[in-house]
Amino acid sequence: MDRSLFRANARLEKARLAVVLGDVEAGRREMQQSQHDAAGARDCWIAVGLDAQIRPQSSHPVIVAGRELALWRGETGPAKVWDDQCPHRGMRLSFGFVRDGTLRCLYHGWGYGEDGRCVSIPAHPELAPPKTICAGAHAVATKYGIIWSNLSAARAATVPEIPAVTDWRPVRSLYIHRSAAVVLAGIAAFDYGAPAEPATPAADVYVVTLGAQTQLLLALQPVEANKTGVHIASSGVDATADRLALVRQMHSLRDAIEAGTGPSR
Amino acid sequence: MALKLYDYTLSGSCYKVRLLLGFLELTYTREQVDFYPGRRHKSLDFLAINPLGQLPVLEDGDLRLRDAQAILCHLANKYDKTGKWLPRDPATFGTVMMWLMFAGGEIMAASAARLHDLLGYDLDIAAARNSAHAAFRILDDHLALREIAGAQWIAGDHPTVADVACYPYVALAGDGGIGHEDYPALRNWLRVFRTIPHFDPMSGIPEFA
Amino acid sequence: MTVTTDAVALGEWVACGWPGKVPVGGHWDTVILGQQVRATRTAADSYEVFTLDRTGTPGRQLPVQSRYCCIFTTLSEPKRPLPEISEFAEPDRRLVNSGCVGVNTSPYRLIENFLDMAHFPFVHTDILGAEEQTEVASYKVEHRKEVDEIWATDCQFFQPAASKAATGGQMTKYVYRIMSPFSIMLYKTVHGDPGRNDAICLFIQPRDETDCLAYMPMALVDAVSTTESMIDFQQTIFLQDRVILENQRPALMPLDLTAEIPTKADVGSVTFRRWLKQSGIWFGTSEKAAA
Ligand SMILES: N[C@@H](CCC(=O)N[C@@H](CS)C(=O)NCC(=O)O)C(=O)O
Ligand code: FES
Ligand SMILES: [Fe+2]
Repeated sequence: MDRSLFRANARLEKARLAVVLGDVEAGRREMQQSQHDAAGARDCWIAVGLDAQIRPQSSHPVIVAGRELALWRGETGPAKVWDDQCPHRGMRLSFGFVRDGTLRCLYHGWGYGEDGRCVSIPAHPELAPPKTICAGAHAVATKYGIIWSNLSAARAATVPEIPAVTDWRPVRSLYIHRSAAVVLAGIAAFDYGAPAEPATPAADVYVVTLGAQTQLLLALQPVEANKTGVHIASSGVDATADRLALVRQMHSLRDAIEAGTGPSR
Repeated sequence: MALKLYDYTLSGSCYKVRLLLGFLELTYTREQVDFYPGRRHKSLDFLAINPLGQLPVLEDGDLRLRDAQAILCHLANKYDKTGKWLPRDPATFGTVMMWLMFAGGEIMAASAARLHDLLGYDLDIAAARNSAHAAFRILDDHLALREIAGAQWIAGDHPTVADVACYPYVALAGDGGIGHEDYPALRNWLRVFRTIPHFDPMSGIPEFA
Repeated sequence: MTVTTDAVALGEWVACGWPGKVPVGGHWDTVILGQQVRATRTAADSYEVFTLDRTGTPGRQLPVQSRYCCIFTTLSEPKRPLPEISEFAEPDRRLVNSGCVGVNTSPYRLIENFLDMAHFPFVHTDILGAEEQTEVASYKVEHRKEVDEIWATDCQFFQPAASKAATGGQMTKYVYRIMSPFSIMLYKTVHGDPGRNDAICLFIQPRDETDCLAYMPMALVDAVSTTESMIDFQQTIFLQDRVILENQRPALMPLDLTAEIPTKADVGSVTFRRWLKQSGIWFGTSEKAAA
């Protein structure tokens, strides 16, 4: 189902409402905004977190290229990525709480179903919320233990394909105070302690093959001009001691990149 | 046993003590100190109680203690019959102490940022936020490793005074303009902390119970 | 930071401190509407306010009034007097000054939050509201043209612990009164004396468009509670609101009524936004960003 259509519909509804309220000019602006929404962001899939880190019944703040998003999960099912803004009075939905499969806004408790539609308005318990009230939901895919989102309305691109490996396990999300370009260069230059064979199956995705058994998947999340998230999964690293060592190594990777040249934070 | 807490509701340091008093189900009296706008913690009367002019202070009979971390240890040592809140086993004790000191030290940068934003304290806010972020990263790194090891508390397999001491200013960080975006392990630990029996929230901690 | 050129905003009285903030002879520096100012306590009950230039040199002297536990000043010819709030003159009232608290948002988000009952069950859970009773009954809103104020009347909400004096749940009656773009107050049922109302004010000092100080002086009918505990109650409530206020997006107030989705419970907010828009104010609004 097309979420952006929902949003565009909500805009249209607001435009209609504006006209009812006698505010024709606002109605016109609303129409323009709905067209702008449809144009949306760049058509690509961006890693926004590790699936295992987003526990059932929780909502989290995520920033992608300066855009605030809420990453949340109901009692069960896949995680969702929404604009971090409640349609009612703008409260960030990453502060919300989960009840009965709905994300409830912390401010006035409005509830939104998994498709983004508003399903409850506690101030008016008898009122069935108009179908057009809708949170800004984005496309999400869970693959390799990583949650990916496409913020564009087009969504022709596919989630990066990584052949051969099927048993990815989550390792760690790093947030590095460097640009994505500097982080990618740092990932390439890092000494993994074994002969490394790098591959970049997609922009902002890096795969490192270490020996015959081990692979690392590092997927970048541009946060701000000078901050980048890196969501890391591994294959072939299973013993707890090895996984602990790997996480420590990834912390060192982050520290090495930040210690390198480039503007400090 | 008569416990009396010199308390200011909005103080994260006092909240540390109130949390443990609650977890241990201890009854106590509160002496509310008008920290703001009254600045009574700097009054001559209060300086006679704590020459540092800081809250919290706990009185336990004739014993008078300042410093939230010291008070947590005292309460756990004296009143927690299970010994869990302040573990004595050599494998855990040192780690608990280490993070307890971290709570009274590095994490207090988040308290400084909060006092700046809320009450207008005159300090270098950018420096305070940077220091707080640096401290949060260190704790997030630790908790990420704990998750891999199958654990969810700072030390051992149950909450300790280290968790209690670290919780308030991490949870209240937003009050000082410090976001939790970069700390996934910390966010999950904050959620787990709320499940401790007798947990009480505080203004500024934005989760709905 | 530069002083705003918004003539409407400049023509309002704004809070800039409270009496007794410093000892006699002392002063404090602060900012209103982007303008650096210095307030000096010249005598026990006397204050002077001057603008400061970039080098910290005092410039012109500004009008000052000390009322309602606040010091007010204005950068221009005020277009209206300070409001009359008679409760502050009643001899048996407890006047409570809770200082001021910094909030990073637009002044009008603060006013709207104060005017809003629908958030009580979620933000002030088990104090001013409970999740079992979330309904906002319809209430009346009017623009009183003769004083250019907005009044919301016949408001009521179920409250588990309405004030420091409350000993149980009650249906609390509210009247709200928006007195200027930067000031609002409410009258609410006094616990145990339904004939009288507690008066609670919110005066905003806009330092800049999304950088405010909030003052909440109160004139209460309560012979029992300690001053500490009344301040404590008010600050506890306000810090719950502050989490919301600092996390509303955008921080600037959208005056375009279709930018957000109001319901019947928001008719106070809708009337307020319309009134702001008609006043021509743009300081702290998103419309200016679009213009
Ligand atoms: N080391 C003390 C510090 C506590 C602290 O900073 N308390 C604040 C209130 S939250 C205070 O009293 N500050 C006043 C001051 O330090 O002058 C502790 O952990 O208890
Ligand atoms: S702002 Fe989200 S419910 Fe009101
Ligand atoms: Fe509120």
